[in-house]
Amino acid sequence: MKFVDDSQNLRGRLHLIQALVLVLLGVLSVRLYLLQIVNGSRYAEIAENQRIRLLPIPAPRGVIFDRNGKLLVDSRPIYSIILSREDTKGIDRYTLIKPLAEGLGLDPEILRERFDQVKLQPAFESILIKEGASQADIAWVDAHQLEVPALRVEQTPQRRYPPNGLLAHALGYVQEISPEQLEEPRYKEKHYKPGDIIGQNGIEYVYDEYLRGRDGYRKVIVDSRGHIQKEIEVVPPQPGQDLVTTIDLDLQQAAEEQLQKSPTKRGVIVSMDPNNGEILALASYPTFDPNLFSQRIATKAGRAEYAALLNDPHKPLLNRAIQGAYPPGSTWKIPMAVAGLQQGAITIDRSNLVCGGGIQIGNKFTRCMGNHGSPDIRTAITRSCDGYFYRLGLKMTISGIMTMVDEFDINKRTGIDLPHEIISTTPSPDLKARMNPRDSEWRDIDTVYASFGQVYDIVTPISMLRTVAGVGVGGKLYVPHLLKEVRQVGQQSEPDYRPAHAFQSLDPQRPNPKIVSIPEDQHKVVVDGMWGVVNNGGTAGAIKMAGFDIAGKTGTAQVVGLGKDTGANRDHSWFVSYAPAYKPEISIICLIENSGFGSQHAAPAVRAIYDVYYAKTRPQPEAPKNNIALRIR
Amino acid sequence: MVAIIQKRKMRDFDWLVAAMAIGIVSFGAWEIHNAQPTETFWQKQLIGLGIAFVAMLAIAFTDYRRLVEIAPILYALGLVLLVVVLVPGIGMKINGQRCWIKLPGAGQFQPSEFVKIPVVLMLAKYFGKHRSGLLTWKEFFTGCAILGLPMALILLEPDLGQAITYLPLLAVVFFLSSVRMWIVAAALVGCFAGAPLAYTVGVKTGLLHGYKLERINVILDPENADKRGFGYHTWQSMVTVGEGGLTGSRDSEYSQSSLKFLPEPHTDFIFAVTAETTGFVGCLLLLASYAVLLTRLITDARRSRDRTGMLVIMAIVGGLIFQIFLNVGMAVGLLPVIGIPLPLMSAGLSSVLATFIAIGFAISVQLRRFVN
Repeated sequence: MKFVDDSQNLRGRLHLIQALVLVLLGVLSVRLYLLQIVNGSRYAEIAENQRIRLLPIPAPRGVIFDRNGKLLVDSRPIYSIILSREDTKGIDRYTLIKPLAEGLGLDPEILRERFDQVKLQPAFESILIKEGASQADIAWVDAHQLEVPALRVEQTPQRRYPPNGLLAHALGYVQEISPEQLEEPRYKEKHYKPGDIIGQNGIEYVYDEYLRGRDGYRKVIVDSRGHIQKEIEVVPPQPGQDLVTTIDLDLQQAAEEQLQKSPTKRGVIVSMDPNNGEILALASYPTFDPNLFSQRIATKAGRAEYAALLNDPHKPLLNRAIQGAYPPGSTWKIPMAVAGLQQGAITIDRSNLVCGGGIQIGNKFTRCMGNHGSPDIRTAITRSCDGYFYRLGLKMTISGIMTMVDEFDINKRTGIDLPHEIISTTPSPDLKARMNPRDSEWRDIDTVYASFGQVYDIVTPISMLRTVAGVGVGGKLYVPHLLKEVRQVGQQSEPDYRPAHAFQSLDPQRPNPKIVSIPEDQHKVVVDGMWGVVNNGGTAGAIKMAGFDIAGKTGTAQVVGLGKDTGANRDHSWFVSYAPAYKPEISIICLIENSGFGSQHAAPAVRAIYDVYYAKTRPQPEAPKNNIALRIR
Repeated sequence: MVAIIQKRKMRDFDWLVAAMAIGIVSFGAWEIHNAQPTETFWQKQLIGLGIAFVAMLAIAFTDYRRLVEIAPILYALGLVLLVVVLVPGIGMKINGQRCWIKLPGAGQFQPSEFVKIPVVLMLAKYFGKHRSGLLTWKEFFTGCAILGLPMALILLEPDLGQAITYLPLLAVVFFLSSVRMWIVAAALVGCFAGAPLAYTVGVKTGLLHGYKLERINVILDPENADKRGFGYHTWQSMVTVGEGGLTGSRDSEYSQSSLKFLPEPHTDFIFAVTAETTGFVGCLLLLASYAVLLTRLITDARRSRDRTGMLVIMAIVGGLIFQIFLNVGMAVGLLPVIGIPLPLMSAGLSSVLATFIAIGFAISVQLRRFVN
């Protein structure tokens, strides 16, 4: 110190300041040590994560063909307007609703809903604003890059289904995965993410795993505003596997045409190869447009369309083939006849039972539609004699009928490869006890009802078809199915090779086919009866075809009691059949709701399809056209 | 005579201080380049260094006592500048703060950076007389007034960060002017104990709310703070610093600052950029450089031939360490975000020039330690 200072220990105070300087710098050094050395790798990871982003590249979904290689479903590229979520994190996204809704012609409510949904989903990278953007929309986005830089246009695949709801119930549809579905184990385990498009119904749902492929991604470096600076890595998507169905498009179109022409336009036609269970046609009417779900559901008009479908009293979304349940009426007589012979209630030689124009049980007379004398089993089937089967049922007793139901799997799902198949209702004392708790005892009159396909018998068309087709091929009940083949992708040596895959029963425990042992002679008697229905003056004699022996059975399902069966409550009209009678190739079932006798509407509809089949198979088989499926790369 | 003086001056000139200062600014210019490779900030910084060096030499070779003599005039001039900057049309408004004066052709300058110097000189003049007793009340209030006037004007801009950097100037002067040790201790204890108490009371009574509360909460728990909102600056700065690791991040092309995750990388958060590019090693070297510079200045102060010179240097030291601690503390997530530059590192002509002028004074003081 060059100067004299009497104030308190100046030298010491300078030292104190010197020490303070070093202490403060020391504190900063310790903090730096903690940040950079102790936790350095953690922060490096955080920094890496915030600058690296994975942008998914959707895999092109597999194309669906009919059995002859005709295109059923494909995807086409559309433009979508997307809002990057990262870019809009700082700002109030809801302020964008008004300009976006006005500029792109969207419903503000739907936008608001989407934004609400996104809030709950942390992993969501981007928000879909508009699908199927027009040129004008894209121009609008370009023009507003400065105001809303988070908007971008991307090319995405969109599923395209056949027009007029063709095959809609079998194909199903795709739709964005819902927040609820994300929580389901089926999706959670396989790491589905928000925004994924998945099969929601039909074979799109059942074979989603094969159809969807695997999404690729672009690994990019982004800046703080989400703008891409550099692409580090591109993993191309693995396309989904193409799917060949067992459907024959010609038969399918014929079936839909018949339903369309039917008096009530409500009903179902299913055609199956009885020798292996392949479904050739599956039509349910009224139908719906699956494109609604894959294309229009996010618009106001689309929502209204969906609400209308849900509220339609004729239930167009219902797949009547597997979800519709109807009393089988006289079609029930086929398994009854087989079981009656099997169980020894009647024999081939002594199969005659009295018709009597009906039967008197206690004080109730249940009538037959005619008076058939004392027919044998063939005639009883051909003429559809109710009186005969009342007595046969009484001879078999309810336990015999229950054995038959069990034998023909009628009390189980058929196992078709479609979701939400229901189980038919079949007669049993338990069922009566549930239906009618006040009078729970099973009586003879109940057995009578159970034996001609009313009251206690309520079956799905697919289950009835399987039963009768099974009888046609001598007792082999195949699992009906729509999948012919999932096509392979790539070559065996390549890493992304995925092998072809044929139909396998979804329940491996069940034998396919299930064998019902029907002795040859008994089989012939029943088939003779069914042959007679069409070819020997039976109830469907009107549809007899030259050179193609149809075996079948008409049925009339009572909706309400006799006498009131008019108008909307008319009986359902059934016809179940296969052909040719003694060497089955194809089986067809048809039900037209509330249209009266089976012979009147259902049988002619089936005949029309046989005509198409005959034309296809008998003269010269037509070479399948090569349709080129449109795919997005 | 000039030759003789020049020869002595060349010998006694504190080359170490000057070299450290120039070294840090040069290093800073490189980091500014890292922070904003596409901008010209680093070139401007080097030009600023040249200007600042000339100014430093000019001040160093001027007798500080003459400048202390005219301190009241400089001080008054400073106040005028601080008033002028508040006038719309002259003062430029950036981010809601009116703290820049536009100079045609020469860019802009920030009076609040420069006014520190007349304040230091004024304090040194008033407290530099030979003293024989404890700090009196009169001295205390005079000191507060000298500091309070410019601070109040700066708060009107409003620039809280700059205003706060004035506080250590007075604190150091008081401390070296025989304020009782127990009062110092009590003030320190009061600060450390009072802060949490004030925080608790503030939250409970609702006086502390809104963004001020949020900014404090960010520091208390940066991990769980709103990383997109109030916590963004602190969090991104911590990530940037941490990412540097031991020797710095390899990926300079896509760094936190070039991807714009780190805000204000070339000014307020230049330390985070340094940490990212040079790692722990670089940070320690920088802090060590500051330590050497400040230690050397304190040594110069000790050798000063009068109280005035000693006070000038020590007030400057106090201002520098305070600003360094605040800025780096903010970058490493120890202190709330407050917009003040890191001395000698942050881009900005005003800051560099003012700091070099201050160092020029320190050199001037030590240069005249033998001169009578």
